[in-house]
Amino acid sequence: MKKSRSIKVSRTVDVVITYAILIVVAFFFFFPCLWLILSSFSDSGSLYTLNGFFPEAYSFQNYIKLFTDTQMYNYPEWFGNTLFVAVMSCIFGTLLTILTAYCMSRFKFKSRKALMKTTLVLGMFPSFMAMTAVFLLMTQFNFINNHWGLILIYSAQAPMGYMVQKGFFDTIPSSIDEAARLDGATNFQVFLKIILPLSKPILVYTALTSFTWPWSDFILPQLLLPTMDNWTVAVGLMYLDETEFARFAAGSIFIGVPIVILYFCLVKYMVNGMSAGAVKE
Amino acid sequence: MTKTLSLFLAHAFIVIALITTFGVLGLQREEQEAQERFTGVLEENVTLRILDNDTAKETGYLDELLAAFNAEYAQYGITAVDANMGAYTDLEKLGPAGYGPDIVYQANDVLMRYAENRHIQPLPAESMEVYAEIPSEAWDAYQSTMEGTEYTFAVPVNVQEPLLYYRKDLLPENWQETWDDDGNGVPDMVENWADLFAYSAQVKAESNGTRYGYMKSLNDQYFAAGYFLSYGAYIFGQDETGEYDTEDIGFSAGESYKGARIIRQLATVMDNNCADDTITTSAYELLGNGTYFATMTTPDVYESFIDEFASSWSRTHRDWTEEEVDAYVRENLFMTKVPALPVSGDLTDREGETMEMTVMGGIHGYAISSYTKSPNAALAFIEFATSEEWIARRCELLGIVPARTDVMEAEGGVAADVYDDLIADRIYIMPGERAMTQVWASFGSLLRFIAEDGLRGGSTYDTDEKLIAAMEALDAEIYSAIHTLS
Amino acid sequence: MADMQYKSAPREFFENLAEKIKKKWRAFCAMLRHGNVRVACSMLIMGTGQMMYRQWAKGALYLLVQAGFIVYLVLTGARDFFGLFTLGSVEANPWYGIEGDNSVIMLITGILSVIVMVIYVSLYIANVRGIYATQLRVEAGKKPATFRQDVAQMFDRKFYRTVLFLPVIGVCIFNVLPIVFMILIAFTNYGGDIVPPKLVDWVGFENFGKLVAVGEYTTTFFKILGWNILWAVASTAINYFGGLALALLLNKKCVKGKVFWRFFPILAYAIPGFITMLGFKYMFANGGPINYYITQGGGSAIFFLGANSTWPARLIGLMVNAWISIPSSMLLATGILSNANKDQYEAARIDGANAFQQFWYLTLPFVVFATTPVILSQFIGNFNNFGVFYFLRSDVSSSAGYVLANDTDLLINWLYKMSIDNNYYSIGAAISLIIFIITSVISLVVYIFSPSYRQEETYR
Repeated sequence: MKKSRSIKVSRTVDVVITYAILIVVAFFFFFPCLWLILSSFSDSGSLYTLNGFFPEAYSFQNYIKLFTDTQMYNYPEWFGNTLFVAVMSCIFGTLLTILTAYCMSRFKFKSRKALMKTTLVLGMFPSFMAMTAVFLLMTQFNFINNHWGLILIYSAQAPMGYMVQKGFFDTIPSSIDEAARLDGATNFQVFLKIILPLSKPILVYTALTSFTWPWSDFILPQLLLPTMDNWTVAVGLMYLDETEFARFAAGSIFIGVPIVILYFCLVKYMVNGMSAGAVKE
Repeated sequence: MTKTLSLFLAHAFIVIALITTFGVLGLQREEQEAQERFTGVLEENVTLRILDNDTAKETGYLDELLAAFNAEYAQYGITAVDANMGAYTDLEKLGPAGYGPDIVYQANDVLMRYAENRHIQPLPAESMEVYAEIPSEAWDAYQSTMEGTEYTFAVPVNVQEPLLYYRKDLLPENWQETWDDDGNGVPDMVENWADLFAYSAQVKAESNGTRYGYMKSLNDQYFAAGYFLSYGAYIFGQDETGEYDTEDIGFSAGESYKGARIIRQLATVMDNNCADDTITTSAYELLGNGTYFATMTTPDVYESFIDEFASSWSRTHRDWTEEEVDAYVRENLFMTKVPALPVSGDLTDREGETMEMTVMGGIHGYAISSYTKSPNAALAFIEFATSEEWIARRCELLGIVPARTDVMEAEGGVAADVYDDLIADRIYIMPGERAMTQVWASFGSLLRFIAEDGLRGGSTYDTDEKLIAAMEALDAEIYSAIHTLS
Repeated sequence: MADMQYKSAPREFFENLAEKIKKKWRAFCAMLRHGNVRVACSMLIMGTGQMMYRQWAKGALYLLVQAGFIVYLVLTGARDFFGLFTLGSVEANPWYGIEGDNSVIMLITGILSVIVMVIYVSLYIANVRGIYATQLRVEAGKKPATFRQDVAQMFDRKFYRTVLFLPVIGVCIFNVLPIVFMILIAFTNYGGDIVPPKLVDWVGFENFGKLVAVGEYTTTFFKILGWNILWAVASTAINYFGGLALALLLNKKCVKGKVFWRFFPILAYAIPGFITMLGFKYMFANGGPINYYITQGGGSAIFFLGANSTWPARLIGLMVNAWISIPSSMLLATGILSNANKDQYEAARIDGANAFQQFWYLTLPFVVFATTPVILSQFIGNFNNFGVFYFLRSDVSSSAGYVLANDTDLLINWLYKMSIDNNYYSIGAAISLIIFIITSVISLVVYIFSPSYRQEETYR
């Protein structure tokens, strides 16, 4: 009796502490967001006239202006451009990254370790000067002012970040694919039919990261898209920052929305792990 | 063995031979003859891409101008369109790649940087209709001697200098008795810095730090430079032809420490934002809602102030009509030349002698990209856009200060004041040197240190000796940033 | 024992290398000696030998490669390659319509031509090897592989080649080429007044000499390097363990509404980094909301990001970086944890292990094993984290005792200021080459000794 009560007490304490930490964490992450969101609804239209953190009056005006007043700053078009670039880069980038990681995890070919070390070292190079090179390269390929040029770069650079995915594949027991190989499946079939269905969490992770990078990057688009109509939201917002702060706030909140939606659509894959259903050793 | 080896070597030989032959051939260049690009013959069926600034687009000025030009030049098949690029687009980067605009409207320091590396075309300025209408002081900003020849690179349109903006309705009610010692009908606090300083201190104290008199980001180099230049500082020395000598840096020249002292004094009557650059965008609104009484900025943003003032006024006066608000706002927002500085360089000295302030300025103008395919059509566009009619229209819509004398005379007011400053050499035209980056970086940091010291009441820069030493250190720092590595 | 092993490692490496080269050379000689007419034909004109073995499709593809390469050489390749050495000889003068050479573009296209040549040579080798293998196969009495068999191989035994082909080409062009470009820039006089259309030239090690000669740069370099290492270690640790802790917390059975609690970090994750950073910059500005409450409460404002605020600004940088990065490392840890073997935990619980022991003996080794490469890449990412201080403190451009840098700048910020703001491209490139050598040696060593690299099989 006594023992079970003490367990109960310690369990309650545990729950209380857990929730206390959760609340603090939630506040830490939520407060700056809330602040940005509320100020984007500020009636005066900017962060600068707030008293402390919160605006005096609220209105939808900034958002309405964002989508209706498009003569100079065509936010809807920028949004469309961004969506196009991000979706395409996400598709190609995810595909290439997952495949690369799979190969690096499963094939023991000769140049593998050399390749792994090379990619690691390449990632170390402070790369902003490389931007000049990328720009000049794209002028040679005639890819300036072209969204496909951006997609090409994002997709081509994505496999460099295969480490996370390789780490994931390394944790999938190789007995699973060995069994399939014994049944006569080719490596491609093993990948498609066995590994891929087990990899939803990492697929979702990869897709999300390769979507958010082009979604919020402004360095590359700024470099490669000189014409305002072709801009992405991030470039446009950085430009607005100097002249129209009101729209900047609203525009920046608004581009967070698709990512939040994506999360809600994909959350079950990320959370429902697959190991419960996998073959046990 | 011989078969395989010989064919292997044959392959290697062929590839190497191919590379060598075509490599050497490819690098040969025919002797090219210099062609005069301004032949006077208009290119037909061409499209000109015009880069203008944001206000020209927002106010609809650019559209009007393009429509009028296109109507007149339709017979030649010349069309001008908006380049549809950000106002700070870098011609140096895009031009050689073939993506740049044909005509750029930018500030003289940017344009002259382009000129240094031949990204913009020298213009036959003297043969242009506009030549005689613009004073030589304005043309000077666009002239440079290269390899013994003097070239002109752009046509001046708009003279920029800092002006004082203030809200007349925020003046104390009895200002005519208490703040007009000379009885000239102009409030003293917008006439000289010492009174503005005193008034700012009073407003800040009375409102308990919720309202301010004069406010401006003190680490904004462009606007702060004036205080130093007025007391004898200069940026780069110049030789007799007007070329800059970047080895000769003169921030500590004359009594420039007085300028530094003024920065420190001003900080004490401002709010914490003065040592920060977030305020640059907020000044419009904060002047609009009455938090600030006055600020300093260039004349081309007048309409932005009007907009912010109007929107803030209509929020607090919901029953006013738009016209009433607009009339009220235009009546109460004043733009005037910057106040006079005390000769002593001490803002608490309200009785002493004063002198006109020298300010840093710039001139915006049209230039033609060297990479344009149709220089003659581009020249025709510039002739058209700088005609009296269109410069006058630009003034009307954008509130700029014109470089054309005839338009200036018709405008009068502030435009005439700015024009006087230009003629009397009180505008220090921003040098179009690459090395300005290093100058601005070091200068900006020092300004911030001084302003923070003033805000905090610190002791890093509280005596003249310390300020003199700081100015000398600044010159040395800029020198080393420019020269040790190049 | 272990000591001995590591000491002899370099020697072993070179001995292995010599051995490998000898072996290759012997194989090559054997091929020359033994190869038949078809092999010889393929050596001159790629693919012809394959066609003689009736491998039409394969032969045609090789032929196409060779033809394409020759066309490329004639059109631009050869000129580009030579341009790499001359960097141009005629200065353009667009004022008079005189076309000239753009040295920087010549550098790029030159590197590109080298990459194309390397690809060609490796295809050529594959071609010769392939045909020789076919010869041996036929001699052994087997039939040459059909196209169908080749394709089947591409999806099975050689699947990795099929898959890695595109990424490797992409990485070569968009990662390797820019890096080679930058390394080469370090040996030119590009920058300052010498930018196209002026002609750039090779100057050898002059830039490195300049760096050594100017003492102020050395002291600035070491000051920044020290802070940079501290920053990278601290922020990687904070972000990694923060994310792991959060994931574990949310994985607890007692937490109801996991989706709800996870929403907040995800929200932070959803807002693009540059916006959050600008937001934080304003939040901590001299007149920002935090100082508003401080002054309202009667205190005097704190200049968090001011010119003199070294440590406050650094700590804020760490916090902002944590805010941005913890959500993604939480997602990662959640993914990895969901992959953990639940039976082990069950067994551990039956054995009476408490929560901490389970964490220490099961979770941590598992997670660290799966993510060592990630920790390393996060470390590198943080080491080269450009954004945080670029946004937070861009208005303090230099600090006392630093040349062209302020006291929160990381090496990459310093490089940016030096090369982009101040135009010293070649010097910037030289410094980044030095940094690159330091950091890559450190991380390679860490990587090679990391558990996941050394014992990849443990958790299978």
